[in-house]
Amino acid sequence: MMGSGFDIHLDEVTLAGAKRGDMRACEKIYRSYHGPAYSLAVRICKCRELARDVTQEAFITAFKRVPQFRGESPFWGWLRRVVINHAISSLRKQPRYDAVELEDNMAHTIGDQDGLGRAMDLSQALEQLSDEDRLVVWLHDVEGYKHREIAQMVGKTESYSKTRLNRARARLRTLITSNDERGTLILNGGTARNALA
Amino acid sequence: MTAHDEWEQNSDDPLGLRNLETIDPGHDGWADIESALLAHQDSKQASKRSWQRAGGWFAVAASLLLVFGISMRNIENPATNNPALASDTNVGASNFVAQETDNIGALIGLSQNMENQVKQLRQGTSSMPAESAIYIAELEDLIAQVDNELSFTPDSIDLWGQRVNLLLDLAQIYQQQWQIDYGRMAAL
Repeated sequence: MMGSGFDIHLDEVTLAGAKRGDMRACEKIYRSYHGPAYSLAVRICKCRELARDVTQEAFITAFKRVPQFRGESPFWGWLRRVVINHAISSLRKQPRYDAVELEDNMAHTIGDQDGLGRAMDLSQALEQLSDEDRLVVWLHDVEGYKHREIAQMVGKTESYSKTRLNRARARLRTLITSNDERGTLILNGGTARNALA
Repeated sequence: MTAHDEWEQNSDDPLGLRNLETIDPGHDGWADIESALLAHQDSKQASKRSWQRAGGWFAVAASLLLVFGISMRNIENPATNNPALASDTNVGASNFVAQETDNIGALIGLSQNMENQVKQLRQGTSSMPAESAIYIAELEDLIAQVDNELSFTPDSIDLWGQRVNLLLDLAQIYQQQWQIDYGRMAAL
């Protein structure tokens, strides 16, 4: 599945069940949205361990709050917003150095990249961004939020969101280019070593 | 801004981030969520009663701290809280937003520092009397409630203020216990 993967339709019966506190309905919702929710949390938080906690807390919050969901927008959009808010809140609470300590090393060695192509490079490059830049570029480019909405989520201005987006894209482009160059060099080195062996 | 920058600004996904695959969770957290929800349903009534019995005075104290915090903010910058005064003194809307953002940023920073302090104090505390432990549990419950609210309104200055106040109370309990422990050690 590509991108956000959140836009899954939820049937009315299941939603009504969850509103009544029916655990089977809640479980069905969890099973449907767990993957996209976790994936989104990892993209925002970068740390898998933190993303796991964020996802758990977001689902608990969502199930407690679902009786208040009025159905004015799709359920998946509402749930996605809960996950994003939890992720932002969690990033804000995280002391900088703790975030580094907790950081789950998702990065692979350059050797592992060989053959995986540009997508892996982009994923790694995304992790190199600052929390704010990563958040804005992901919310805008992948989740499709407008600058106005992002500004509201992070409690900043629209121009802040636009500036961050430009900066994040420029940084990503630089990182991808530099990764491509390094990958080529290593690949050439490997070929040379193989030839010697 | 160049034409290219403008194009990129309006473009949905120029780098192809949507092509990245979703990340597999590799775990199933439903059991934990289910037990948390069931516990929540069970404890809803019980906590309501205990809160009414033991937490009345605490609510007053927390409110006073909150009011004090807000008052201090108003004293420090009256223009941001009075639109008429703001217009009189040519303080524009952008300044208001910036000031609010600064305040939230300061509170978030304070909250992070307090979180660290509480963590260190907790690690340095050997034992805790039952009464204090109950009080700590109450405070941690309240912090969890505030966190829950914050997940919906992450830019609420009042909620961040409440969080800092609750963490201050928590730190104070640990601090007092640490002093008692230290006194005992010194007496030996």
